Amino acid sequence: MKTFHYLSVISLALGLQGAQANAQELIVNGYGGPYGDLIQETIIKPFAAETGIDVIYDETGSSGADYAKIKATGGNPGWDVNVMTAAQSLDGCKDGLLEPLSLSAVPNLAFIDPGLRDLAGECGAVHELQYVSLLYRTDKLDPAPTSWNDLADPRLNGKIVLPTFNNLLASQMLQVYSAMAGNDANDVDPGLEMLTKLAPHALAFEDTSALMDKYIREGDAWAMPFYSGRAGGMKNGGVPVDFIIPAEGTVPLVATLNVPVGAEHKDAAHMFIDYWLSKTGQESWALAYQVGTARADVDLPADFRAKQVTTREDIQKLILPNLSVTASRLPEWADRWEREVVPAAN
Amino acid sequence: MNVSEPISAARQRRSFLSPGAYVPLIPPVSALLLFFALPMGMMIGLSFETTLGGFGLSNYQDFFTDDLALDGLRRTLVMSGLVAISVTVMAYPIAYFLARSTTRWRVIVFALAIAPELAGVVLRTYGWLVILEKNGFINDTLISLGLIEEPLPLIGNMFGAVVGLTHVLLPFGILSLLTSIQGIDQNLEKSAQILGASRLSVLRHIVFPLSLPGIMSSFLIAFTLSASAYATPALLGGIKFKVLATMIYREVLVLVNWPAAAVMATVLLVIVIGIAFFSTRAENRIVNRLHVR
Repeated sequence: MKTFHYLSVISLALGLQGAQANAQELIVNGYGGPYGDLIQETIIKPFAAETGIDVIYDETGSSGADYAKIKATGGNPGWDVNVMTAAQSLDGCKDGLLEPLSLSAVPNLAFIDPGLRDLAGECGAVHELQYVSLLYRTDKLDPAPTSWNDLADPRLNGKIVLPTFNNLLASQMLQVYSAMAGNDANDVDPGLEMLTKLAPHALAFEDTSALMDKYIREGDAWAMPFYSGRAGGMKNGGVPVDFIIPAEGTVPLVATLNVPVGAEHKDAAHMFIDYWLSKTGQESWALAYQVGTARADVDLPADFRAKQVTTREDIQKLILPNLSVTASRLPEWADRWEREVVPAAN
Repeated sequence: MNVSEPISAARQRRSFLSPGAYVPLIPPVSALLLFFALPMGMMIGLSFETTLGGFGLSNYQDFFTDDLALDGLRRTLVMSGLVAISVTVMAYPIAYFLARSTTRWRVIVFALAIAPELAGVVLRTYGWLVILEKNGFINDTLISLGLIEEPLPLIGNMFGAVVGLTHVLLPFGILSLLTSIQGIDQNLEKSAQILGASRLSVLRHIVFPLSLPGIMSSFLIAFTLSASAYATPALLGGIKFKVLATMIYREVLVLVNWPAAAVMATVLLVIVIGIAFFSTRAENRIVNRLHVR
């Protein structure tokens, strides 16, 4: 009887241990607000239901702050998966802070556009593709703008909002205008010249997309550069706006999923990334957040495709700067922005 | 009595010299060393790291030869000085009222004085944004009253940042002055009045000199917190008003140039410590000269 008692205790202990092993945990760090809610509903809940992995979603911090934490902790920030930009992904990979992702660990990487995989480097899984769109008020602008040069149109004097250099949009606008002038996107003299020309016409310069949002929503601004995902959300929310890729083209905002080198649950992290990159994951995420996808075999409605980057042809039309070069030149651009663009602002 | 006093003093000296007396200090000192001195030391060390992985003064050379960085430093010092002055000037009458009043208004004024601390700094700053912006409450009111035709530039400059920070830091000024004024013996004021001194004279010759330590504390707290404030200058100062805190933010989170940020933080630290040191010495001199100790 005593032996049976001992065996029961041991079995119970082993059983508990087994249960703990089954109930795997995964900590995912991403953005907050509506973005966080969408991730929960569209990706995390179906993934948890399919795998039984318990996902904790950490929505504190911006992508810059999160990357700073990864850097400060030597790749051990306390989470397993991070939503980042491709530029951060490249930088973190170069510094050995992020885990390289192999096809064996994340099989769905094979379906991601090779050009974008190269752009994000071996540590980043491109899970979302936005672009810098030209957003405008349909009730204020007739005819509608068609070119990036339309931001300098006299009817938009005092009716545009521009990003500060703290906002990634600023460097991307420099690249767009430089590519328009026939330069390499990272040779930004024409971009700085154009932004200096636009600066006096700006109603405001803002640090974040969330701050830029209110100007056009309330009708104080009539046009501005804005990421396509947020622009789509605003349009679907009933604000009288539309967004376009102007005739001269645009640059993408390539978002990646990454695993810090010190992540505790790497297997679960790989499974999570693979789920997000799956056909179902990409379709539901693209529709939910109104963003493009780097996976060409997805089934998406034609009207959605018309507004988003979803095919290889769409991707090939984008201006794709070398992000490593971009990162190395940012300090110089920031300095010139302060000396040339800022003094021209009202 | 004459014998027992030296013995008592000697005992006291012995008890301070005995190692056991320092044991209670070990936890707080260890915590300070670990969580304050060590990170600070690491930050200062980082400021000497060069791009090639070595150590040197090149980051400091870059900072002190960059006109944009020096402009940021100048703006930081001017803004912090203005905030410190306005906080102290505004806090003084409120603190005096709180220290001397016995009416029921005292509780209400005290609650109102510390109320700004109940809301987060970002929320309070957004409140000022609504009030001060181009189409905000003040401009709309002035325009509707026909007093101005064009909106006044109340944000996007130093004025906006100083107003916002003064509001944020006013409770700190009030509390430090309140403690100081409460410590002044009211009998001194009564005696002066009995001897014929006017209310203004009492304030000028007794209350003000005796409250100098509180004035210095209020000034230093407001100055130090303003110099390191990020959210309010970033939101109310606008694109042209860069201070060191907003520049540090950019270096850390946008340009990922931590050594440059560490240089700015170290320069700020040294300046604030220097100002605190010299202010305290100046305060001691003034107080001694006034023979109020």
